[in-house]
Amino acid sequence: MSGFVTLRDVRKAYRMGEVEILAADGIDFEIEKGEFAVVVGPSGAGKTTVLNILGGMDTATEGEVLVDGEDIARYSQRRLTAYRRDDIGFVFQFYNLIPNLTALENVELALQICKDPMDAREVLVEVGLGERLDNFPAQLSGGEQQRVSIARALAKNPKLLLCDEPTGALDYNTGKSILKLLQDTCRGKGMTVILITHNSAIAPMADRVIKIKNGRVSDIARNRSPISVAHIEW
Amino acid sequence: MKKMAKPTRKDFYMEIKRSPGRFLSILFIVALGVAFLSGIRSSEPDMRLTGDAYFDASELMDIKALSTYGVTEEDVAKMAGVDGVERAEGAYSGDFLYNTSDEQRALHVMSLQEKMNQVAVSEGRLPERNGECMADNEAGYKIGDIITLTSGTEDPVADTLKTDTLEVVGLGSSPCYLSFGRGSTTVGDGSVSGFLVVPEETFDMDVYTEVYLQIEGAKELLAFTEEYDDLIEIAAENVEEITDERAKARRQEIVDEANEELDEARAELEEGRAEAEAELADAAQKISDAENELSNARAQISNGRTQISNARATLNSKQAELNAARAEYETGVQQLEDGKAQYEQGLAQFEAERPSAEEQIAAGRQQLEESAGQIAALEGILAQIADIEDNAELPEEEKAAAIAAIEAGAGMSAAQIDGALAAARPAYEQGLSEIQAAEGQLSATEAMLAQTQADLAAAEEELAAASWQLEDGQAQINAGWSELKAKERELSSGEAELVSGEAELADARQEYEEGKAEAEAEIADAEAKIKEAEEDIAAIEKPKWYVYDRSVLIEYSGFGENAERLGAIGKVFPVLFFLVAALISLTTMTRMVEEQRISIGTMKALGYGKMSIASKYMGYALLATVGGSVIGVLVGEKVLPYIIVYAYGILYRHLPEILVPYDWGYAIMASGAAIFCTMFATWAACYRELEDQPAALMRPPAPKKGRRVFLERVAVVWRHLSFTWKSTVRNLMRYKKRFFMTIFGIGGCMALMLVGFGLKDSCYEIAELQYAEIQFHDGSVYLEEDITEGQLEELKASLEDDEGVEGYTDVNMQNVTLVNGKTERSAYETVFENMEHISQYIDFHDRRSKEKYRLTDDGAIITEKTARLLGVEAGGTIEIKDEEAGNKKIKISHICENYMGHYIYMTPAYYEEVYGSAPEYNSIIFSAKENGENGKEQLEEIGQRVLKKEGALSVSYIHDIEKQLDDMLRSLNLVIVVLIISAGALAFVVLYNLNTVNIAERKRELATLKVLGFYDMEVAEYVYRENIILTFLGAAVGVALGRFLHLFIIQTVEVDSAMFGRNINMPSYLYSLALTVLFSLLINGVMYFKLRRIDMVESLKSIE
Repeated sequence: MSGFVTLRDVRKAYRMGEVEILAADGIDFEIEKGEFAVVVGPSGAGKTTVLNILGGMDTATEGEVLVDGEDIARYSQRRLTAYRRDDIGFVFQFYNLIPNLTALENVELALQICKDPMDAREVLVEVGLGERLDNFPAQLSGGEQQRVSIARALAKNPKLLLCDEPTGALDYNTGKSILKLLQDTCRGKGMTVILITHNSAIAPMADRVIKIKNGRVSDIARNRSPISVAHIEW
Repeated sequence: MKKMAKPTRKDFYMEIKRSPGRFLSILFIVALGVAFLSGIRSSEPDMRLTGDAYFDASELMDIKALSTYGVTEEDVAKMAGVDGVERAEGAYSGDFLYNTSDEQRALHVMSLQEKMNQVAVSEGRLPERNGECMADNEAGYKIGDIITLTSGTEDPVADTLKTDTLEVVGLGSSPCYLSFGRGSTTVGDGSVSGFLVVPEETFDMDVYTEVYLQIEGAKELLAFTEEYDDLIEIAAENVEEITDERAKARRQEIVDEANEELDEARAELEEGRAEAEAELADAAQKISDAENELSNARAQISNGRTQISNARATLNSKQAELNAARAEYETGVQQLEDGKAQYEQGLAQFEAERPSAEEQIAAGRQQLEESAGQIAALEGILAQIADIEDNAELPEEEKAAAIAAIEAGAGMSAAQIDGALAAARPAYEQGLSEIQAAEGQLSATEAMLAQTQADLAAAEEELAAASWQLEDGQAQINAGWSELKAKERELSSGEAELVSGEAELADARQEYEEGKAEAEAEIADAEAKIKEAEEDIAAIEKPKWYVYDRSVLIEYSGFGENAERLGAIGKVFPVLFFLVAALISLTTMTRMVEEQRISIGTMKALGYGKMSIASKYMGYALLATVGGSVIGVLVGEKVLPYIIVYAYGILYRHLPEILVPYDWGYAIMASGAAIFCTMFATWAACYRELEDQPAALMRPPAPKKGRRVFLERVAVVWRHLSFTWKSTVRNLMRYKKRFFMTIFGIGGCMALMLVGFGLKDSCYEIAELQYAEIQFHDGSVYLEEDITEGQLEELKASLEDDEGVEGYTDVNMQNVTLVNGKTERSAYETVFENMEHISQYIDFHDRRSKEKYRLTDDGAIITEKTARLLGVEAGGTIEIKDEEAGNKKIKISHICENYMGHYIYMTPAYYEEVYGSAPEYNSIIFSAKENGENGKEQLEEIGQRVLKKEGALSVSYIHDIEKQLDDMLRSLNLVIVVLIISAGALAFVVLYNLNTVNIAERKRELATLKVLGFYDMEVAEYVYRENIILTFLGAAVGVALGRFLHLFIIQTVEVDSAMFGRNINMPSYLYSLALTVLFSLLINGVMYFKLRRIDMVESLKSIE
């Protein structure tokens, strides 16, 4: 049995001086291709560790991390970087746009380095920023910035779209529209989306909900009939 | 600052502990800046101090005075008494030649002084005896070398020294020679190769050649400072004041001496004259004697001749006489026969008559005797009576009785007696006379007979004598003839003698005339000489006194100028350095405060006051700055001056000890400035943040606005830029502060390095430029003032014939003072006699345009620096100062490039126009044929040949001047290296700091890029691009800044007498750029690791 993304007994230990902290203590889960997966858990449960490992920003101390059949846990730093640039789209909580590049340029910046990019302009139109292509991040609202961020991630045509609390810094409505954009993208493009959040309220919109607690997966639930974000209230 | 509460204090320490890099970087940059500022600045006083300590320790003189007639003991004593003079010491010196096997060296021989100008022995010992010397330890002599001196002039060495052979017993240095230069001389090839120190007694001179003075209080003052110079100037003026009197005294002394000699000469002349006169008179006497003798002889001869003729007559008459006498004699003989017969007859008669006569006589005599007895008896009785009567003792009665008795006795009375007597006496008398007559008749007859016999004998004798006489007379006459003959012979020989005597006399007379003329000439000559001597004495001028300060010492002024130059560098260079350092610490502190927004906000929210919050940062900055300052001062003021002074030690090798005391003035100034800058910056940064509300502080600051830059409007370019480039360009524009800081930092460093290299270029260039592109002649011959026309011709002929000489021309070189308004400058007025080949010796051109100028008769060409100092431009007019005849106006036709010295060039015609008289040429410049490697030796050979000629005073070579210049500037090398290294260090720190700040500020952005899948290299490039652009932009700014600064420093550093090159050579630009880039690369290399260490997790964090 193997999904598009499979984590097997992933452990991550940080050394903090004398003490060893186990941020991930044997995490196992699978995500199918094209699924919209939500990883939920309280602060400090280890969900960021999962994200870091999945995003190739950190390596697991133990266990396998299979993405599209490749065990990225065995990757060198360099291969991990290649993995990040080619296979991963990342959406940050704080958007992390390059401040002095316009929306379009921010997208193009990412595209410049990947093998099979989409057209930046189109992607931005898709995320609903057709009118604001030449605006600088400072001229955009938080939601718009996040859309640019998503566009930047999507335009790379990644295998996996990783979103770290994408609505964390946004107000309710904007957050909702962003979530909708992500869901639509997932549905429309068949993109595998992994969204990390502490807000379990949005779990119903996911195909798969992975709950993490104390560095372990406490529950994995497959949602046969995810509902649209528009219908979710929190 | 308020005492911090415990937790705040802890926070403060923790802050330092947490960010040691930042703390240290501020500390270090401040240390660097302060070290540089205070260090380089104190190099100037330190150099002076080091020099001064050496001068003081070696008792270097303050003033040197000498006169053209030497310095007497009295002069020295008087000098010592001058106001302000502490001590005076006379000394001897002289220049000699030493011929080694392959060259001739000129040596300066000086006496070992007791007090002043103490030499330092580096090897061996001081000379102690006549014949020993200590040699210059720079001149390549060994202990035990024997140096044989020759004088190089007409006067023998013995005039000056007791011995001409000196043994080197020690090597050492003299404070009079600070550096390599040994000065010039009038002997040999004109340049002194070294000095020798000998004991004073080696010199055999009546007077000292110079006197050295030390001034009261001069030792306490620092050499090369105004205070010292002023003190010496005043003292020198005091000394000058007495020199006139000393000169007069000295002149008098010399005049007296000369007069004494002259008097002696005069006496000698008189003596000579008297002697000559006496001799002449003697001769004249002799001549007149001879004349007399001759005339006598002549008279005698004529006399002799008359005598002879007289004698002949006499002889003839004598012969006649003799003949007559012979006849007389014959008759005489006949008469004698007759007389003899008569006498025989008379004699016989007498004999017959005689006996009867004799009988008669005897009877008469008998009678007479009887009457005589009677008379005597009577007279006896009378005498008895008279006796009694005369007896007074007897009484009259007795007398009468006695008389009566007697009368009775005689039978007659007294009266009867008397009567008898009277009758007897005449009878007696008659009888007596009768007898006597008879006797007389008898004896008369006898006598007559005897007489006749005697007569006969006499006649006989007479006849015999006459016969003899006759014989004799004949013999005499015969002898008279022969005598006459002899006389005649004698006379003719006398005549011959007379003729030769006359000839002799004529000779003697001529000789006399000649001798007289000669003596007269000699006397006249002597008189003329005496007169000349008198004139000479009258013409003896006062000796000229020269009073010099220490600048007369070779390279002494150079030392001061070097210190001054250091000071000039110290005023500009480190200031820039310091400025960069201050800006860096400012940026760092600003960044730190900005980074700690939240912390500040929290503190503020917790209710801390502004002061106590700010105090943390102020304290942080203060600690770092003070720490840096202390380190900077402690290290910088020791190390930098030491290095720099040490560097100069290459030039000034005898400085025994480098003194680098702390200069607290500069220390406080530099530290104060550093502290003020950082504190002010920190306060300003804090103030801005503290003004915000705590809530606002705790929110992340609004993202900086992206802004379009100008370049975007140039669509063609912009479209072709990749996004990283676009981002780079916008980034550059966005972080303006950093942008300018970096450009300024890099530009500053580039500028510093450029200045460093440029200084080197400028300094090194001038020798080359001056003597390869402007003045090409190889040497100058200075002529003696009183050179004669003939000597000059000969000298020129020798140059003409010299194979090594390419060409030569007469030159008038005169030091003149140029005046323009109130500005005055001294310059060499140079007039070339031969204008045709002037291009062989000099090239007039503009420095910038290289346009060639021709020297024409319409005006003078003046050198650039001179023109600038005078503030005159081409076409302008200046004046040549002439205090006696009024200033001469000079039109400046062109201004030419020149680096060494000040010159004003004129054609002979223009000179004449200006001065109204033709120039007097006092030197000859010549150029030698190209000789490749041996050029120098050959040139010096030419020089030696020239110096052998009369009238050549000295020869100077361009290559000597060039070398001197090079030596002087070589010391700048290490200084430049120090500057370059320091600039590099600064560049490093600046770039490191700015990059660190940059990375810290953009950590999130960079982390995001990493997350987006940028390789490390790509991330680094993203940063590097900016750095590279900034580096090049900074370099470009640095070029401009450097040029400007270089020009400024060059103008500050250069001495008035020279103009340094204004150019920075291409290689210098390249080196500076390469070094700047290298530092940039180095920093980028370090940054690479810093970038790699950026954790991607940063990207997930909220914005701080």
